[in-house]
Amino acid sequence: MEIRHYLRAMNAENIKEWKIELTYRVDFIRGLFEPLIFVLPFILYGIAIVGGKYSENLEKLTGTGDLITYTVIGYIFMGFLETAVWGMGFALRKEQWYGTLEQVFAAPVPRWVYVMGMALHSTIHQGLIILMQSVIIYFIFGLVLDISGILPSLLIIGIMMISLYGLGILLSSLVLIFKEGWIISEILYSFIIIVTPIAYPLAVLPSILQKISMYMPTTYGITTIRHFLIGEVSTFTVFDAVLRLLVIGAAWVIFGLFIFNIIDKRVRNKGELGTY
Amino acid sequence: MNSFYNLSIISAEIKKCLKILLCYPMELVFWCIFPIFWAVPFIFQGNALVGGMESEAFSDLTGTTQFMPYILIGAVLNTYVLSALYGMSNSLREESYWGTLELILGSPCSKIPILLGKALNEAVTSTLFAVMQIFICIIIFGLDVAVNQILPIMLIVILLMLGLYGLSIALAGITIQIKQSHSLIHTIEYLFYLFSPVRYPVNINPWIRMVSLVIPLTYALTVVRGIMLLDKSLINLWQNVVILLAIDIGLIVLGYYIFFYIEKRARKSGIISMY
Repeated sequence: MEIRHYLRAMNAENIKEWKIELTYRVDFIRGLFEPLIFVLPFILYGIAIVGGKYSENLEKLTGTGDLITYTVIGYIFMGFLETAVWGMGFALRKEQWYGTLEQVFAAPVPRWVYVMGMALHSTIHQGLIILMQSVIIYFIFGLVLDISGILPSLLIIGIMMISLYGLGILLSSLVLIFKEGWIISEILYSFIIIVTPIAYPLAVLPSILQKISMYMPTTYGITTIRHFLIGEVSTFTVFDAVLRLLVIGAAWVIFGLFIFNIIDKRVRNKGELGTY
Repeated sequence: MNSFYNLSIISAEIKKCLKILLCYPMELVFWCIFPIFWAVPFIFQGNALVGGMESEAFSDLTGTTQFMPYILIGAVLNTYVLSALYGMSNSLREESYWGTLELILGSPCSKIPILLGKALNEAVTSTLFAVMQIFICIIIFGLDVAVNQILPIMLIVILLMLGLYGLSIALAGITIQIKQSHSLIHTIEYLFYLFSPVRYPVNINPWIRMVSLVIPLTYALTVVRGIMLLDKSLINLWQNVVILLAIDIGLIVLGYYIFFYIEKRARKSGIISMY
């Protein structure tokens, strides 16, 4: 009964957020195309460096030499990191701006239910953006993908999302302390982007970054998705990747909830909830 | 006397902006480091694609085989674009958030020193960020900057800033009219990012090359990279400098007229205090 109650609250949050976003249609449409702006430089720069679309060195490192397909798949699916960092991470800050945070926190559901409502909205929104991008890029660059890899890729995305939700819960609480928390979100986002093999394999990273990369769910998520869709060869098996994604996911969610509860208690005790 | 007042307005505006900026020290550190951080994936990507730090194909397009300094210079100069668009263009919108826009526009002084103060503040802070970024590039990535290159580079940076702040004065005026101007500002940022040689040479595609011709950043990057990477002098690159200067004059005149036209209209229609 309680679960049903929570699910309704999450859906209400999801619908509220859609209503707000669709009020600003120009922003909404811009958001659909925005990720394309950031992936194009990687493609054009890659072509300028190699002098074509095929890289021998990339093939030697990953088993696939098509730099466009390699980069585009990596970049598109990293879009879900935006869900965690910006969608969920800013959920509570946005309520603060609207002046509704205190009312939301007074609702008879745990606070994480509210954040998960934002996660639901953000995941659907990001899924829509990724779908749009995939169609556009497919028609512009004519990507050749293994169709049979789509279903297992979706499964990997689902598992990767568990960890990203953990990160989102953590960030949404940090914003309550740091207020202008966009810097923390941006720092984390930029760092994860660097250590994740989006446009390059792990082999080109310095060894310290390679080690850090092994703790990032996006490393296993992106590499395994590319393995299913274009046959990327990696240093770990699919079984290993799924296992590590599950372990990292559980750890990040537990850590996220733990920090969230501590900060929630602290800002209530100190009366900082309504401060800017 | 009048110019003394104007100078004191400019100085007050700079002091105010700096005081606000210093309240957020994290932001200062962020802008000194992160524009370089955002360029790092391109360096790793280049290494993965060619198996080293030099590319012959890249040399055919740019004249240099070294893609790393090419990327780093693009990242540093792009800081000025971000500062002009998000700092200067947005500055009046911020006054509106703080509830001080009506007071500023209603004050019995010319608006030019206020805008100049804001522009000078952005120029000083973004130059501070750029210098810090250059230091990071020298220490971490081994970027070479010869002493005799500093003066011509500074000249080009000043010319770049003039054009960008001309554009951002126009955008600041448009912000008074349309309020939520961030979509417009984002769009202009994307145009600059995609159609000027920030990350890649624009002659990779004829359409990109064509659009890049009207963007001041294209000429500034061409000259600075010419000086730093190809050992050319300003005299060798004079055509680019002249075009940059012409674009600057056009943007400043346009910015001035757009701002004052919109400001006058906004005062008459009473929309200044609206959100």
